[in-house]
Amino acid sequence: MHPSPDIGIWIGGLLTLGIFSFLYGDNPYYKFCEALFVGVSAGHWFITLFWTVFIPKLLGNIGIAIHTFRTEGFAAGMSDYMHWSYIFGGILGFLMILRLFPKIGWISRWSLAFVVGTTAGYYFINYLVSNGLMQIQKTILPLTSVGNIILVVGTFCGLIYFFFSKEHKGAFGGLARVGIWFLMITFGASFGYTVMSRMSLLIGRMDYIFGIWLGMIR
Amino acid sequence: MRRSVPLLIVSITGFFMLIQYFIPLEESEWLYERILDWIIVIGCFAMLLGLWSLTYVSVNKVKRKVPGWGYNLVALSGLFFMLIVGFVPGQESLVRGSAFMHLFEYVYIPIQASMFSLLAFYIASAAYRAFRARTVLATILLVSAVVIMLRLVPLGPLSGINQWLANFILTVPNMAAKRAFWIGVGLGATATALKIMLGIERTYMGRD
Amino acid sequence: MVLDRGFSYLLLLAFFFLILFSTNSFAQDPSDTLAPESVTNVDAFDTPNDNGHSITVSWELSSDDGAGKNNVVVYEVYRSDSPEGKFEKRGMVPAGENTFEDQGAKEKDNANYLPSHKNFYYRVRAKSDGLFSDSEISLPAYAYGQWYHTGKTPVLVAVILFSVFAITFITLARKGKLFYIRPLAGIEAVDDAIGRATEMGKPILYIFGLGTADMIATIASFTILSRVAKKTAEYQTPILIPCYDSVVMAVAQETVRAAYLEAGRPDMYKEENIFFLTSMQFAYVAGVNGIMLREKPATNFYLGKFYAESLILAETGSIAGSIQISGTDEIAQIPFFVAATDYTLIGEELYAASAYLGREPVLLGTLKGQDWGKAVVIFSLILGALAASFGFQFFINLFRIQL
Repeated sequence: MHPSPDIGIWIGGLLTLGIFSFLYGDNPYYKFCEALFVGVSAGHWFITLFWTVFIPKLLGNIGIAIHTFRTEGFAAGMSDYMHWSYIFGGILGFLMILRLFPKIGWISRWSLAFVVGTTAGYYFINYLVSNGLMQIQKTILPLTSVGNIILVVGTFCGLIYFFFSKEHKGAFGGLARVGIWFLMITFGASFGYTVMSRMSLLIGRMDYIFGIWLGMIR
Repeated sequence: MRRSVPLLIVSITGFFMLIQYFIPLEESEWLYERILDWIIVIGCFAMLLGLWSLTYVSVNKVKRKVPGWGYNLVALSGLFFMLIVGFVPGQESLVRGSAFMHLFEYVYIPIQASMFSLLAFYIASAAYRAFRARTVLATILLVSAVVIMLRLVPLGPLSGINQWLANFILTVPNMAAKRAFWIGVGLGATATALKIMLGIERTYMGRD
Repeated sequence: MVLDRGFSYLLLLAFFFLILFSTNSFAQDPSDTLAPESVTNVDAFDTPNDNGHSITVSWELSSDDGAGKNNVVVYEVYRSDSPEGKFEKRGMVPAGENTFEDQGAKEKDNANYLPSHKNFYYRVRAKSDGLFSDSEISLPAYAYGQWYHTGKTPVLVAVILFSVFAITFITLARKGKLFYIRPLAGIEAVDDAIGRATEMGKPILYIFGLGTADMIATIASFTILSRVAKKTAEYQTPILIPCYDSVVMAVAQETVRAAYLEAGRPDMYKEENIFFLTSMQFAYVAGVNGIMLREKPATNFYLGKFYAESLILAETGSIAGSIQISGTDEIAQIPFFVAATDYTLIGEELYAASAYLGREPVLLGTLKGQDWGKAVVIFSLILGALAASFGFQFFINLFRIQL
């Protein structure tokens, strides 16, 4: 047995065991690891977002715009709309923070509306094209092979299953039942597909504990 | 005003994003890209709200000494320590070897990997519950899952048949059901988006 | 000596005939040193359906393309901003092809910048093994952006059709027409699930998953949350909503506050119950697991965008003894929800849930519009498959979109 001399590996190993202790039941060791995880991850996310997104995207672009205004004059600065337009994003973001002040917090709805509205418009088209038209195009197949027939019939029955305005009775119900059978095949396939990958994650952790940390396996 | 302006913003931005899809002009493209960037910027400001919320809730629990307040203290300590070692050195904190990255490598990564690996246990317990062939649907789920699971396992003379069956399941019935699922989701998402843009669905806007 | 001389003459004669009837390696066909025929009718024009920074060049193939001894190998396209100016190479296409798209960048500081509304001249070079011939210079052409992308017409038709269906049924609903919708087990269980929480004196846990506010599944979840929150306000049951995203937290707070106002219980609204946790996947899961085990909610709702963490959440909720109602549009996570939760809304059912819960006529009208959309899809599928079986590509071409 050749345990690692690296204190960081020891910390990682002990925290790994803490998480695994959850399998036995909720306990103070797991609670400590969980609390530490939440705090460290929130801090990590904030710092990473700050240095890699906030600073370059907002302050970086506005900084370039200010520099253009100062060195090349007003006209040149105005034509550099690529950079100063980020001020609008900054204003919308600032309005968001006003939520913290109850009396004027209502103004943050403008920023929320901007996010929700653009999302709605973007996904209206996106889903109609990628989930609608493209899937239909790929499913229009000549019924000249068993595979194609099953594919078209399966898609047809699956769509029947998702009908909301007709009760699943009689012939319609029969088709819907065939549709849910196809869906169950898909769900079973998804389940089976992911089992091996999840097992490999566990193997990876075991390798960390017994190989890298405790040095019991090479 | 407090509600009508946001609803107007939703409709205008929503319909702009819809219409710009059909307009290949450079100006339309530019505005589209800017809008997506502004959403990222709004998200950056919103992270301050998130941090405030987490801090406020944790500090409150510590102040009131609710059961388990010690763990809230641990979370706050982890958070503020990361903020300090992340801000003080500046952008250098993201370089490998810094205190910030050491915490990420030796605290965050092992715990994250361990949480992820818990799935191996949970998938076994979920499979035990789901794969009891008491109904036709559960039986279909079970058979399909077993065939796919065994496709990478050497089964001697049955390997060829299982491989063929697994491949057939994945390329034919699986794809058929996925297409039906995706088309349904596409129509549902499109309808939801239309409801938002027309102002029919406005519960997310709040009330006064 | 006579014999020797004769033998020498014979040798000379043999040598002469050898050279005369040898292979072509010594005798050269004059056509081997000629360049291939140049292309003709070079035409440059604005590339359609673009942002105005691309010009397309077309030509008639060289007569030596695929035939003749000087077989063309490649066509090179050259551009200049004046007929007398220097022509620079813009690209090449293999033999057999007769079009080339000169795609430029839109940024002025990009080396590949192609300005719009500026005339350019093109020349095409037919090349074969080091020999080449240039075509005539084309007439000037300039790039410009289009106001409408004709290749996206099928999408426009789909948008109009879908909108017509939705608006028609919304109008009918507003006039009082009642629409039937079939029962959904997951939705019917919502009332009982909230009632159970009230009886047990335990809170309800509502999880949006890892969705951000710019995802449509999360927006659909907001619409469901408002109905659920209104019921919890009426039943006076606390609702806990740990959030993965700050903007989601803000919208959730607005949604729940409005629901409590609508239920006539604004005093019961507690903003600290809707809080941010972290924006890292498994840290969020760890935090929610902790809440589930310590607060022991009677009912868990998992509605929104979920990924690998779905099973951990569902299993932990199951261990905690909660009733669980789930719904997502991520097909890979549905099996885990089906296995580990009590009720699952599959795909489109998540988007229909708000109409089911609110039963507002206008929302039921849009649901009817969705069903009509599905009917059109089914009809197109059947007709298209039958047509394709007989070799007609009409329906496939109908749905072809140029991106």
